Amino acid sequence: MDMIVCIKRVPDTAESDVKIDSSGRDIDHEGLAFTVNEADNYALEEALLIKEKLGGTVTLITMGGRESDDTIRMGLAKGADTAIRLDDPAFAESDGAATAKIIASAIKELQYDLILTGCMASDNGFTQVGPALAEILSIPHAAMVTKTELKENKVRASRELEGGLLEVLDIDLPAVLTIQTGINEPRYASIMGIAKASKKEIALKSMGDLGLNENEVGQKGSKTRIDKLSLPVQDKIAELIPGTPEEASEKLSGILKERGLV
Amino acid sequence: MAVEGAVLCKELALFECIQCGRCTGGCPVSLRSALNPRKLVYEALLNTRFVPVEKAEIWECTTCATCAERCPKNIRPVDVILALRSDIIESGRVKPAVRDALESTFMHGNPWGRAREKRIEWIGDAKVPILEEGSETDLLYYVGCAASYDPRIQNLAKGMIKILQGAGIKYAILGNAESCCANEMNELGEKGLFEMAQEKNLETLAKYQFPLMMTTSPHCYHAFLNDYPQQKFEVLHYTQLFSRLIREEKLVFTGELPKKVTYHDPCFLGKRNKVFDEPRHVLQSLPGIDYLEMDRSRERSLCCEGGGGRMWMESESTEERLAEIRVKDAVAMGAEIIAVSCPFCLLTLEDAVKTSGNEGKIEIRDIVELVSDLVE
Amino acid sequence: MKEIFVLIEHRQGKIRDVTFEMLTGANKLATSIDGNVTAVVCGSDVGGYVEKVAGWAHKIIAIDDSKLKDFNADAYQQVLVSLIQAHKPYLTLIAQSGFGSDLAPSLAVELDYPLATDCYDLQVDGGALVALRQMYGGKVNARVFFNDSPGIICTVRAASFPPEESNLTAEVIKTDSPLTEEMAYRQFVEYVEAAVGDVDITQADILVGVGRGIKDKDNIPMVQELADALGGVLACSRPIVDAGWLAKDRQVGSSGRTVKPKLYLAIGISGAFQHTAGMKAAETIIAVNKDGNAPIFGIADYGIVGDLMKVVPALKEKIKALKAS
Repeated sequence: MDMIVCIKRVPDTAESDVKIDSSGRDIDHEGLAFTVNEADNYALEEALLIKEKLGGTVTLITMGGRESDDTIRMGLAKGADTAIRLDDPAFAESDGAATAKIIASAIKELQYDLILTGCMASDNGFTQVGPALAEILSIPHAAMVTKTELKENKVRASRELEGGLLEVLDIDLPAVLTIQTGINEPRYASIMGIAKASKKEIALKSMGDLGLNENEVGQKGSKTRIDKLSLPVQDKIAELIPGTPEEASEKLSGILKERGLV
Repeated sequence: MAVEGAVLCKELALFECIQCGRCTGGCPVSLRSALNPRKLVYEALLNTRFVPVEKAEIWECTTCATCAERCPKNIRPVDVILALRSDIIESGRVKPAVRDALESTFMHGNPWGRAREKRIEWIGDAKVPILEEGSETDLLYYVGCAASYDPRIQNLAKGMIKILQGAGIKYAILGNAESCCANEMNELGEKGLFEMAQEKNLETLAKYQFPLMMTTSPHCYHAFLNDYPQQKFEVLHYTQLFSRLIREEKLVFTGELPKKVTYHDPCFLGKRNKVFDEPRHVLQSLPGIDYLEMDRSRERSLCCEGGGGRMWMESESTEERLAEIRVKDAVAMGAEIIAVSCPFCLLTLEDAVKTSGNEGKIEIRDIVELVSDLVE
Repeated sequence: MKEIFVLIEHRQGKIRDVTFEMLTGANKLATSIDGNVTAVVCGSDVGGYVEKVAGWAHKIIAIDDSKLKDFNADAYQQVLVSLIQAHKPYLTLIAQSGFGSDLAPSLAVELDYPLATDCYDLQVDGGALVALRQMYGGKVNARVFFNDSPGIICTVRAASFPPEESNLTAEVIKTDSPLTEEMAYRQFVEYVEAAVGDVDITQADILVGVGRGIKDKDNIPMVQELADALGGVLACSRPIVDAGWLAKDRQVGSSGRTVKPKLYLAIGISGAFQHTAGMKAAETIIAVNKDGNAPIFGIADYGIVGDLMKVVPALKEKIKALKAS
């Protein structure tokens, strides 16, 4: 089973306060910690589990600058075999479709049975690249997958729908699956393991290497553009109950009593 | 992954072992788990091919190193456990909570999943000097991750600055430049992460001038004192500083603590670093205190099971927790307060007070809290 | 006259709420762009669906084909490509849902149309369509503009437009299905219902939801005690289930359960959309969170900005005391 896993390096903004940067089209990265996109981490683990069960290879693909090498090495340390990084200044500000086109150009040269991506990137939240990639490569896909079962030339994928309902499909390989969080329990990549992985070569591909021109990538190659990020203004704001935990709890329980909830 | 017994024998000089069993006899955790240090050494001697993932009991170890302490041949069975842990770490198959603590330490400089820039939130409105790069101070207070982020332990940091200020000491903290000492990462077997943290921390510390570093936690103390290769600054645990200040009459107590107080020696201060007297000196200096000594004290202190990465691991055992035994013993001897000097002991013992049904009967207080209550 | 297509989303014989929300949004937008709304109803035996949406659109394109009975991204994509190429709508709206996220991105590539996903509003700026969406887990709003194109596709976030029927009477246009063969390479096997555990959170009057802010599995019993004191049921957000700390049947949110209790107490929950989508409709919402900027405070009625480790036990005691008196 030859697999390709698309991974992305994203900032960890869960606990941080975010600021809009000077361009107005992204957030300020100063002081943020970066890590592999959560859903991609699950996708990688799924590929590694399949490799452990059925044999095969895992190739990582990342679109990003040199800082993405940290993320790639983490993936190699966990057990991926090879890695390709797609890097070109012209790739900057590619939208979802343009990103998929860039990644597809790298993939079409490769031998593969299965492509796994995370279902969503936690930075832009597009949920777009996986299915777009499948369309460009003319292979079937399934998004939001929470369970995979490889069979003869097919994969039985369970897709997560609203309300906990699962849709089960059989899909011919090769295919693209976008993986939902919680599908497995990702392993840990040790620091020594990551250091060892630094010895593995990461193939670099530029726009020219991929046979693309500047009208196909980046802002020029995108049909959508982000303009003016802003911080959400809560128009309705909760009535905040002040005081120490003791005092606030006292007041709150009073409010609950008034509303007949206690 | 596997670890060859023969390799362990060679690297850890295990051939000296006479299988006397003093190690297991002193291992606090062997009371309630399958952990058997003697047996592990025995298996190594037999050139067993260890498959560490099959040895769940190695995660029960709190790395208190009582086994190493008691060995008449100066062998360190705890190092066998650490070698097996390292093997599992390298394979990546650690429990999710451990994985998260390790990844958090790498990404955020603390094992609690908290943002680096929120490390000094505990300060609130208080005036706490934060050392600027290139500056100097007399005492660098190394707050530590637990005291920075855990709401219960933040009280210790607040108490510490009150005491330092009251004693007129020129001190400062590193603020958000402070990063995890990574001692627990080392005890979990993630040597690479520990070395990386060491390197980064020493690089950071080189930017400041200070002759003395004082820690809240015995774990930070242990790491900086024993493992960090540096000659620049002295490292003290806060109880050692307080003891010094009391002797120099710089800590002046007002008020009394008319309670029966006993002291629980933390493994990383006591057993591992032989700091037994200073904490007692501090406690016994508190006016009005009725100090009681536990039977299992000093080298024989009963581990609370907070160290060795145990803060991030559920025990597999259903036997009574050591911390609960500790609480019950303290209650039985009539103590009203168990004084501690380690954030992990504080958290595990407080938990044990609840789970053993002794809420209201006994309190767990850190020495810094008791001192802070009695100084201006 | 600009045409706005709205793909009707149905599942297991019922039209999903997001459909009516999208139709409302489409009608609202239509007034700003001199447009009309066309509901695209694909399925098997679509009469019932057509009836339900007749008051919500100017036109209905109805395609009846047994191959469209259950959602299948490839089949629906083929149909939409055929319809969009024939009718050239200005905009096509699809729900940002399990179905929509499987369909829209590949559809957009096949048509070579721009796509904006998970939009919470659609506006007009200088005559151009602007889609509003969020990034970074809801911490940032973004305005998305589209290059000139024969058409645009947007997927719409659930609960973005409170549904309002339009008093229209749609003209129904029955259209032949363009599908010619079974999709052999992608076959529907079955739906699997979420396992019903011992708890049905949708039936509880009082829910106490716990989120990532709880930090440790060991802290959950403390929240359970608060739930017990209130006579409520413990629920949670997705990360708690992903971590294996609580079972899936306690998950509130777009991929879990939607609940409408009298009281929802959100403990350590940031208020990311995926969760709030499942509990916004609660009568009274109270949030406890360390972060005063957490989005949850934008939908809560009352909030305490503080450490849940202190607030939860204190609140439990106060409730117990109140009940005892």
